[in-house]
Amino acid sequence: MSQFVQEKRSISPLFWLPFGAGGMLSALFGPALILITGILAPTGFLLPQSFESYDHARAFAQNPLGKLVLLAIIALFLWHGAERIFLTLKDMKAGPLLNLKYATYGVAAAVTVVTVLLLLAVGF
Amino acid sequence: MSERRPYRRPMSPTWWANPPYRAYTLRELTGVAVAIYGLVLFFGLVCLALGPGAYDGYLAFLRSPFSIVLHLLLLAAMVYHVVTWFETLPKTQPKLIVDGKPFPAKKMTDIAIKVGAGCSLVLLLIAIWVGR
Amino acid sequence: MPEAATAVKTVELKILRYRPASDERPAFGSFKVPYTEDMSVLEALQTIKDTLDGTLSFRWSCRMAVCGSCGMMINGKPQLACNTLLRNLPPGPVTIEPLNNFPIERDLVVSVGDFVKKIESIYPYIIPKEPKTVAEGPYLQTPAQLAAYESFSDCINCMLCYAACPQFGENPNFIGPGAMALLQRYNGDSRDGGQQKRLDTIHGEDGVWSCTAVGYCSEVCPKQVDPANAVNQNKTNSAFDFFLRFLRPGGAR
Repeated sequence: MSQFVQEKRSISPLFWLPFGAGGMLSALFGPALILITGILAPTGFLLPQSFESYDHARAFAQNPLGKLVLLAIIALFLWHGAERIFLTLKDMKAGPLLNLKYATYGVAAAVTVVTVLLLLAVGF
Repeated sequence: MSERRPYRRPMSPTWWANPPYRAYTLRELTGVAVAIYGLVLFFGLVCLALGPGAYDGYLAFLRSPFSIVLHLLLLAAMVYHVVTWFETLPKTQPKLIVDGKPFPAKKMTDIAIKVGAGCSLVLLLIAIWVGR
Repeated sequence: MPEAATAVKTVELKILRYRPASDERPAFGSFKVPYTEDMSVLEALQTIKDTLDGTLSFRWSCRMAVCGSCGMMINGKPQLACNTLLRNLPPGPVTIEPLNNFPIERDLVVSVGDFVKKIESIYPYIIPKEPKTVAEGPYLQTPAQLAAYESFSDCINCMLCYAACPQFGENPNFIGPGAMALLQRYNGDSRDGGQQKRLDTIHGEDGVWSCTAVGYCSEVCPKQVDPANAVNQNKTNSAFDFFLRFLRPGGAR
């Protein structure tokens, strides 16, 4: 018997676990990914510019394992960012919480769904 | 004689911008960089699905000075994220007992940062090897 | 050491005063007291009360950082007044305010009622895994099992961690770092079987999920309890419980 009313369970874990997964994934591989796709391959330094050519990118996105990698990176990075940006905007009292949720988790959810559709659209 | 009238002082609306909370807010804002990089890859995927013409436009963007500078900034923010992420990591773990003594959080952070740097390095070397 | 020479030196304290019977809102009052090398902030306050203004209200008891009564904001940082020596503070006036994020009762005295209720709410006692009679002997524990929770048992309920926590400031119903440290003291005890019961009290928005891992609570703790670790490891526990409850009999609530 408890004299305290038990509080309703929060659904925060649904957002916190993808946040944590995205944070860990980016902490382990984020610097290398940015270097490879955004700096080395575009400038042709250490990596050939053809590294991310249309044919190579297409072959990667058509490979089932490649699809999984792309989905994990894009979706989890966005869910990670969404959680942190939402909480910071909340700290800043930047607006009504529902609007902030649409602008953060909403974007992450939309990007996740579209990513899945695109990965299906590029074929196998 | 005695009067009870508890007074609640308001919080500063800008507490998050000032010490001692500024470092915390900066740490959280690395999430913006992580999300932007996710969006850059997402738009690459969109262009890829649209066809070779659109994807060439994406590659041209990646090779533009704007994109290179953007990615250098993203890289700096990402490195800050790596360090602060592993500084926070021990807080989310149960106390680790080694030889009957609590394992220092600082040591756990040092090891984790080395593991993180190692993962990135291995991925980089694999990419360079594949791209030969 | 020439006694007379040191006694001439004074230190100024700017203290946030609030007397509910006469003051509309808190305001700073300034006091100058003789300074000595070995003087704590608490001793300066006691000097003011004894010699300058007997109405100045503040809590204190042990003078040795064990009782947890004299927590206050010293130059904007939550600290124990007995544990803070004037000589270690930067020169110039010392600003003294009641602990942040708590309602002020009078001068440096804040309301502690909500905090006590939170402590009571998390079953702050051992709930034995398997009840034993006296005849069956004591509950045994290895040094390693003790180490797993010992630091959390060092909490002196000084509430500095609450004054350090912006999320508690934003949401006074947040269970907060101190009560979570006490929860982990029992949840981490090898003799205890009440983990699920306690986890059920902190799975809400006002439970662990108000925490954003700022971490300042652990920095200001005078006993190195690391309450941020207590909160955040239970965030992990609560997150897994969110999904694993469906595998528990009667847990899908």
